[in-house]
Amino acid sequence: MIEVKGVTKIFNQGAVRALSEVSLEVKRGELVILKGPSGSGKSTLLSIIAALQKPTFGEVVVAGKRISKLPDDFASLFRRENIGFIFQKFNLIPTLTVYENIVTPLIPENLSEDELNLKVNRVLEEFSIGHKSGELVKSLSGGEQQRCAIARALVNDPLVLLADEPTANLDEKLSMQFLEYIKNIKLKGKTIIIATHDPIFFGLPITDRELTIHNGRIE
Amino acid sequence: MNLLSPDCLAILILDVIFTIFAILSLIISIQIVRGWDIDSTTKEQYILEKRAYLVAVIIKYIFYLKLLLFLYFIYTLDQLSNILPGAMCAAGVTNATKYGEPLFIVKIFDLYLFGFWLVVNHIDMKKPDYPFTKQKFLFFITIFPLLLIETILEVLHLGGINPEVIVSCCGTLFSAAKSSPVSVFIELPTSLILSFFYGNYILIVISYLYKKSFFTALFNLIFIPVSIISLIVFFSTYVYEQPHHHCPFCLLQSDYNYIGYLLYITLFGGTFLGVSAYISEKLGFKDGKKWLKISIILDSLYLILVSYYCLSYYLTNGVWL
Repeated sequence: MIEVKGVTKIFNQGAVRALSEVSLEVKRGELVILKGPSGSGKSTLLSIIAALQKPTFGEVVVAGKRISKLPDDFASLFRRENIGFIFQKFNLIPTLTVYENIVTPLIPENLSEDELNLKVNRVLEEFSIGHKSGELVKSLSGGEQQRCAIARALVNDPLVLLADEPTANLDEKLSMQFLEYIKNIKLKGKTIIIATHDPIFFGLPITDRELTIHNGRIE
Repeated sequence: MNLLSPDCLAILILDVIFTIFAILSLIISIQIVRGWDIDSTTKEQYILEKRAYLVAVIIKYIFYLKLLLFLYFIYTLDQLSNILPGAMCAAGVTNATKYGEPLFIVKIFDLYLFGFWLVVNHIDMKKPDYPFTKQKFLFFITIFPLLLIETILEVLHLGGINPEVIVSCCGTLFSAAKSSPVSVFIELPTSLILSFFYGNYILIVISYLYKKSFFTALFNLIFIPVSIISLIVFFSTYVYEQPHHHCPFCLLQSDYNYIGYLLYITLFGGTFLGVSAYISEKLGFKDGKKWLKISIILDSLYLILVSYYCLSYYLTNGVWL
């Protein structure tokens, strides 16, 4: 499902080498934990897999598409159809309601209102925030915002779910709740990569592999 | 004293800016053509891919703006005729220096070539795997000298116009006199010219109906000179309602309701799209069929417009000119 071949990412014209010759293969339906300290290159690797950035050199193939070569317009289209991304700070739009935040990734698809409602209501119910759909996200609690972010990442039914430090802003109880959601998502056959340094994710029975990244290299 | 009106200065400054950007684009285009390898995942190739996108956008806007600037250029020439002694329209201003005529011809060539580059770029950008990137930059390198020549000629021409020197008016430039560059056409039998014009149009329509896009493109290319010659020799006299007035520039003036702009836009637009449709078909792009339809509509509109003036004159006066 995901093939990363010899990827290097250099920022600031060589001043920062975020990734060095990283190679990685993730099969369909796998749950991979990518662990490592802050600044080790986890987020950079996720953003390259999500086609948010291009490598300086190397190749990335996701769902059979060589995404590291895609022009920007096509990379956007690829993300919309294949990738769900949960950000560390959720990146919800505070001035929009829960419903509006979740429906946003579907807007470019020109679906009918009924189709939009069907898709959004499905994830609203799945993550138990249907009762908050009309409220502005800035009025939600941390746990509700997290569920909203997961719902938004999954509303387009992506093949791959990527999460970057998803529990960094959550207490232990909410982090455990997040784990439960991840279990269910994995059962549906989604390929999941979670970049984290939260020990709650280490040694989990549902995890297929744990990889450690340090100084831009997978160890 | 050189004639450097604000309009001329604006055109010159814009064209020099475009040329500077085009030179920068040329340097990167050469790098792309020499180093492009879409299968490579090296740092150099990724840099080229980023640059290719940026440079393609720069060239695209240069060409779009130059197409618009062409209309402004024509308008400016027409306006300059008011202050240039002897000039009655843009024709006199064009012939004010020895560079004017070649400049005009290069500009029309460039209009088509820049347009074809935009077509190739449009098709390339619609596909995810850069299928025509190398070709389009090679094409740009090929047409760059014309862009440079155009700018040089423009500087020489607009900068070289002397408002104290009397220029020839269009009555002299487009006449049956031996000194006129079009006298050879004016002396041809009208029936021959009209047969060429209407026959050419019929061939365009037939090739379109039989879906022979190569022939549609070819007949459209031939339609450009045939239409311009028939306009100068025959149709313009009906617009002016004067049998000896053959100028293709006076049509752009308010006295004739600026009909020249509509005539040239339909003629150049129609023929351009007719050829572009063939190019797009060869590059595997489906929208070409739509362009072909628009091309036929514009070609037909041109034909109807020029024919209307003749018929209208005949119906009003009961005689042909």
